[in-house]
Amino acid sequence: MAGALLLEAGVMFAAIAAVSFLAARLDLSPIPFYILVGMAINEFVLGRYGLPYVTETAFVEIGAELGIVFLLFFLGLEFNLERLLADRRRIGASGLIDLGVNFTVGFALGYLLFGGAVAAVVFAGIVYISSSAVITKTMLDVGWIANPESGPLLGTLVFEDLVIAIYLAVVGAAVLGGGSIGAAAQSVGVALGFLLALALFVYVGTRALERLLSTTSAEYFVLRAVGTTVLIAGAALAIGVSEAVAAFFVGMAFSSTSFVHDLEESLAPLRDTFAAVFFFWIGLVTDPFSFLGVLDLLAIAVVVTLPAKVISGFYGGRVYGLGDRRSLRVGLAMVTRGEFSLIIAATALAGAGAALPAETAQTLYAFTVGYVLVMSILGTVLIQTSGVFERYLPAGG
Amino acid sequence: MSIFETDIPGVGRRFEMELTGGTRLVTVVHHDGRCELFRRDGEDADGEKILDLSGDQANKLGSILEGAYFESVDVDELTVPLGDAILEWVEVTPDSPLAEEALADTDIRAETGVSVIAVQRDDETIPNPGPDFVIEPGDLLVTVGTREEHAAFADHVEP
Repeated sequence: MAGALLLEAGVMFAAIAAVSFLAARLDLSPIPFYILVGMAINEFVLGRYGLPYVTETAFVEIGAELGIVFLLFFLGLEFNLERLLADRRRIGASGLIDLGVNFTVGFALGYLLFGGAVAAVVFAGIVYISSSAVITKTMLDVGWIANPESGPLLGTLVFEDLVIAIYLAVVGAAVLGGGSIGAAAQSVGVALGFLLALALFVYVGTRALERLLSTTSAEYFVLRAVGTTVLIAGAALAIGVSEAVAAFFVGMAFSSTSFVHDLEESLAPLRDTFAAVFFFWIGLVTDPFSFLGVLDLLAIAVVVTLPAKVISGFYGGRVYGLGDRRSLRVGLAMVTRGEFSLIIAATALAGAGAALPAETAQTLYAFTVGYVLVMSILGTVLIQTSGVFERYLPAGG
Repeated sequence: MSIFETDIPGVGRRFEMELTGGTRLVTVVHHDGRCELFRRDGEDADGEKILDLSGDQANKLGSILEGAYFESVDVDELTVPLGDAILEWVEVTPDSPLAEEALADTDIRAETGVSVIAVQRDDETIPNPGPDFVIEPGDLLVTVGTREEHAAFADHVEP
């Protein structure tokens, strides 16, 4: 048994729990705090001063991996295709405005900064995808959930969730795959084949999953759900398909069983625990001094992509027939970036070397951590102080 | 009266109800049963939170509004009237004189006047147990008889 390892895990969980107090006190999302605390006690900070620091053990690494899997599993579990189709005209329009504006801006900016198409696509994904989790929670906290602006916000986020699943499948495969166009095409082919098989599994597997989960024992229930999800995600990663996307599909498959509610109840604590480990791990492997090299990137990205989201969100609100004030709120809320940007950056870093030069992946990664820190805090604050900005609107809005 | 229902992924469901005079009542029901109620004084007004209820409180409030609220009944007091006779449920403890006895040997009917009409064991019910049926500790005996007969039977069951 590993005594020192247990102590490190204890330090990690205690540090995560400690910063949650701070997040609660400041009324901000805890995500940036998990990242920051991971950064504060890693080899680049504590280690620099010769103090004992927390290392990236296999436990932390696999914990972070499980965090990604459970985050995406829940996304699939709560992904409601019927609702998306029922309101497809409005969701489609606001979602396409969001995608068109932000992905295009991201791609152009990425291309200018990195000079490569692959890096530009990765960069575009990172700046396009807003944080469903943080935005939904902040909306609840400030009471917007009861207002008309919740319609376009929830609709656009559902659209983004679908886009990110497809994006991760294709980009994950292209980056994780070979360097040449042929090798990339082959790995994208494998990925799409695997996902097609998973989609088929979603379509026909409901009854099998229903039987799998029919047990009166809460213990067996959790173990079977976790066993299925982690096995499929792991198998996907082993053949070069994004584990996040596989988990998303497994979640979707479970979403058509009658156990959705029980799954949410029994797996939510697991998701919360490992998602926090994932954010902590992001901080743990990040050298804060690497931000110094990307400060200019960061400044440019914030200046360009923040207004882009506000504008696209504003017109998304317009699609739903909202007035100026509420449309502006939609735009401000969409600014928050979070877990998905980090997942994209982590995926790119894991597969760097062939299609994406290792150095570029490193730079992108450092940039993303800084970007998410800034945008998750900024976005939450923008929602909480939206009244200040609403005053600048022309009267009668 | 129209009610608009939407999903809030990761949170729960949201119901919006239009009341008279343009006021809207928005209810957010979380997955864990927690329930938030907001009121909006019109199409353009912002919602203000009026209530934040736990799952239990929300259920109680719901049943009051439904007119279905009633004080829960103490099960020990629960009896089913059958003319003069009543039905009762009696548990056999491990140290009861009836434990491990066959029904015929206990002479319950002759000694007390009540009849054992069924036995509940774990989650199965044995209706009309025969004379050679052996009573196990933990069994629930379903008995029928008058109040006096049951009083006599109670003395018989208890150690």
